[in-house]
Amino acid sequence: MRRLLAGLAAVVLAGSLAACGTDSDKGTTEGGIDQVKVGVIPIIDVAPIYLGKEKGFFSSRKIELTMEAGQGGAAIVPGVVSDQFQFGFSNMTSLMIAQTKSVPIKAVAAGVASTGEAGKDFGAVVVKADSAIKTAKDLAGKKISVNTLKNIGDTVTRESVRKAGGDPATLNFVEMPFPNMPAALADGQVDAAWVVEPQLSTIKAAGGREVASTFVDAAPNLTVAAYFTSSKLQQSDPDLVARFTEAINESLTYADSHPDEVRAVLASYTKIDEKLRATLVLPKWPTQINEASVQRLSDLGTTDGIFTGAPDLEKLLP
Amino acid sequence: MTTARRDGPARLGNPVLLGIAGPAGLLLLIELAPRIGLVDERYLPPASRIGAALVTEAGTGVFWTALWETLSAWALGLALAVAAGVVAGIVIGSVPVLRALTASTVEFLRPIPSVALIPLAVLLYGTDLGSTLMLVCYAAFWQVLVQVLYGVADVDPVAFETARSFRFSAWARIRYVLWPTALPYVFTGIRLAASVALVLAITAELVIGAPGLGREIAVAQASEAVPTMYALIVVTGVLGVLINLLARTGERRLLAWHQSVRGEVAL
Repeated sequence: MRRLLAGLAAVVLAGSLAACGTDSDKGTTEGGIDQVKVGVIPIIDVAPIYLGKEKGFFSSRKIELTMEAGQGGAAIVPGVVSDQFQFGFSNMTSLMIAQTKSVPIKAVAAGVASTGEAGKDFGAVVVKADSAIKTAKDLAGKKISVNTLKNIGDTVTRESVRKAGGDPATLNFVEMPFPNMPAALADGQVDAAWVVEPQLSTIKAAGGREVASTFVDAAPNLTVAAYFTSSKLQQSDPDLVARFTEAINESLTYADSHPDEVRAVLASYTKIDEKLRATLVLPKWPTQINEASVQRLSDLGTTDGIFTGAPDLEKLLP
Repeated sequence: MTTARRDGPARLGNPVLLGIAGPAGLLLLIELAPRIGLVDERYLPPASRIGAALVTEAGTGVFWTALWETLSAWALGLALAVAAGVVAGIVIGSVPVLRALTASTVEFLRPIPSVALIPLAVLLYGTDLGSTLMLVCYAAFWQVLVQVLYGVADVDPVAFETARSFRFSAWARIRYVLWPTALPYVFTGIRLAASVALVLAITAELVIGAPGLGREIAVAQASEAVPTMYALIVVTGVLGVLINLLARTGERRLLAWHQSVRGEVAL
C-alpha cells in the first residue's frame, strides 16, 4: 500500500514537472529543404554566416539556416552532440578538449583566423595606459583576465610570455566575461586583460596599451575557431554536411573580401554602435583550416596540461 | 495574506506622489552620479542617455519581439506551474498519507535554485523556449504548491465533516468547501510565482541565450552598448512592477467576495 502511494506521489510530481516542458524540435526535411540550426556566439567572428545567410549562400544549397546565438560557447558542444543544433561554432582549443574527452565531433569548415599582424589583430593582451607593464615579459607574476580558464586565452598568453623571455608558470589567470574586462582593468582588479574585439577597441580608445598580440605569437596565421558537427550527422547525412561546408566556405570568402558588408551585418545581430563598428579590427576568414597552427595550439595546450591526453587531430579535422 | 485596506497613513501625504518621488529621486541620482564623476560614465551612463537609448531601442522591431518572447515565456511558464501546482497541491494536501510521504521530498526539491538546473535544461531543451519554460516552471511550481498545501490544511474540519455527512461527493467537497478556503492561498501563491517566473525567465534568457529581453541584455553587454544594456534592464524592472500591480489588482477583484479581502471579522 505504502509503496503504491509512494509510486503514485512520484508519478504526480514527475507528471507535473514534465507538463512544464515542451518537445524540442529537430532539423527535419520538408520538401527537400533542410532545416539547419547552428549554435553560435553572437560575436564578430561569426559575421560570415550571418552575411552568407543574407546573401542566400545557404538557401541556394537547400539549407534553411537558423542561428541559435547562445551566450558563451559552453552550450554549443553539448547542443551539437545531442542534435539540438546540427552545426556549431567553437574555438579550436575547446574542440580539442572535447576530442580528448572522446566527444564525437568533427570540424567541417574553418571558422575564423588571426590577421597574423602584431598590433593589428582582433585579440590581444592589454594593460592600462599608466601600467608599468611594457612588454609581454613584464606580465610574469601579474594577474591577467581570460574569458575561460584552461582554454585558448591562457595558452596563447603563456606562449607570448615564453617567447618574450618571461616565465609563463608565474602568470596568475582569473576568469571573467569579456564585457567585464574594460571596467576590471580600469579599476585595477586585474593587471592585464586578454580580450578580443569589440572590447579590445574600447580599451584602446580609453588609452589602454597592447602588450602582446597573442594569436600572432602562438603561430603564423593561427586558425582560432572552426565550425563543427557531430560524428553522427557526418555519417548519417554526408550530403548535408558537404552542402553546409560549401556554403560556409562561400560565406567566408565573401566576408573576407567585403569588410564593409561585414561591418554592416554586425548591426543585425549585435548592438555594437556605428562608430565602433567602423573602427574595430576584423579578423581573417580563410576557408582553409591551418593545420600546422592547430598542431601548434595542440602542442602548447599539452605543454600547459589543459588536455587529458594528446588531441587526435586526424580525427577532429576534416 | 492580503491585508485589509483601512485608512492609510494620511499624515504622510499622497501615496501616489510619494510613490513617484522614489523613482524620480533614483533617476536624479543616476543622472548626477556620473556627471559629477562619482562613477565612470562609461560603465554607468547618466539617466538621460539611458532614456535616449531606450527610445532608440523601442523604435526597433527586435525589441518588441524580445519583449513578446519574454512575456509569452513568462505567461506560459506561470500558467503551467499554477495548473500543476494547484492540482498537485489539492491531491497531496487532501490525502494525509501522500502529504507525509512527499513532505521531505518537497522540502528537498523546493530550495534547489532553478539556476542550478541550467545545464540540465540546456541538455533537455537546448537554447530555445523549452529551457526557459523548464526553469520558470520549476521555480514557480513550488511557490504555488506550498501555498495550496497550506490552503488545504486550513480547511475548517467541521465544515468538511458537515459536507461529508450531507453526502457531498468528493468533487463537491473540493469544489464547495476546500476550494473556497484555499483560494486566497492560491492567489498568494500565484502572486509570488508571477514575480519569481519573471526573474527566472530573464535569467534563463541572459545565461542560456534563449530568445527574449535577457538575451538582448547579454548581446548589448557583449557589444559594448552600455546605455542600451541599462535601458533593457530598466524595461525588466518596469515589467516587474506591472506584473506585481496586475497580480494585486487581480487578487482584489477576483477575491472581492472573500472575507480576507472584504476585511470583515471572520465567523
